[in-house]
Amino acid sequence: MIEIEARKEAASRTARLDAVFAALADPTRRAIVERLSRSEARVTEVAEPFDMSLNAVSKHIRVLEASGVVERHKKGRDHILSINTHSLDEVDGWIERMRGYWEKRLNAMERLLGELKKDRQMGPKDRKRGSR
Amino acid sequence: MGRGETTGAIVQIRRRVSATAEQIFDLWTKPDLMVRWMSPYPGAVDCKASCDLRPGGHFSLVMSSAESNREVSGTYVQVDRPHKLVFTWTGPLTNNVETLVTVELNPRGDETDLVLTHERLPTPAIYEGHTKGWGNILNHLADAVSKSF
Repeated sequence: MIEIEARKEAASRTARLDAVFAALADPTRRAIVERLSRSEARVTEVAEPFDMSLNAVSKHIRVLEASGVVERHKKGRDHILSINTHSLDEVDGWIERMRGYWEKRLNAMERLLGELKKDRQMGPKDRKRGSR
Repeated sequence: MGRGETTGAIVQIRRRVSATAEQIFDLWTKPDLMVRWMSPYPGAVDCKASCDLRPGGHFSLVMSSAESNREVSGTYVQVDRPHKLVFTWTGPLTNNVETLVTVELNPRGDETDLVLTHERLPTPAIYEGHTKGWGNILNHLADAVSKSF
């Protein structure tokens, strides 16, 4: 059961990564990400430097939003775009790396607990004798 | 705990451990026990730990092998034996950026539920790291794309 869950998680992670890389495999979208990595910005501000219609830029932005790389929130009437840093955490593998690290450490911790328990089971006789 | 909008990434692991909360807490905080399981390097590694177990106190774990010398260190934020231990954590694995580790221990009869939470902190350094990270990814992509044409 746990294995199936893990496989499902890995599959959906792969799908998300595919979406991220597909979204970034376009020079206009990379330029948008670069712009937003400096600071959040309004849609119109993002579109400004591009020699294309606002509509065309909006399409690129929607692809980035669908991939999870870019987020949109409203401030009054403005639509503000920003980078979703979590999507990068996944891309750069931090979550996977740390999870793997701690799982191994906790395995080692449990092994040590087992060793210490054995030591204690050997111990009580001596302790009894000592207390009397 | 109050959290802003820009929280960093979080890794959380839960485990039922067959030991008391006190025993587990000591494994995390006593240097002679820490060195017996915290080092990720197998084989002949000289591992030294020191810790000043109080909020604001410092700890460090130094692992030296023939090839390398690595240190993990941090500062205790909360020390509540045997329920909760919170400390900052900086080392090669975190790219030497400060992160936060919380260990919670909840007794369940003879066993204990351990919940480990490791967070990237939403500091300017992390933000810079992210920006650099994006730059790297974009560069790699550009390389890959230019090579494929």
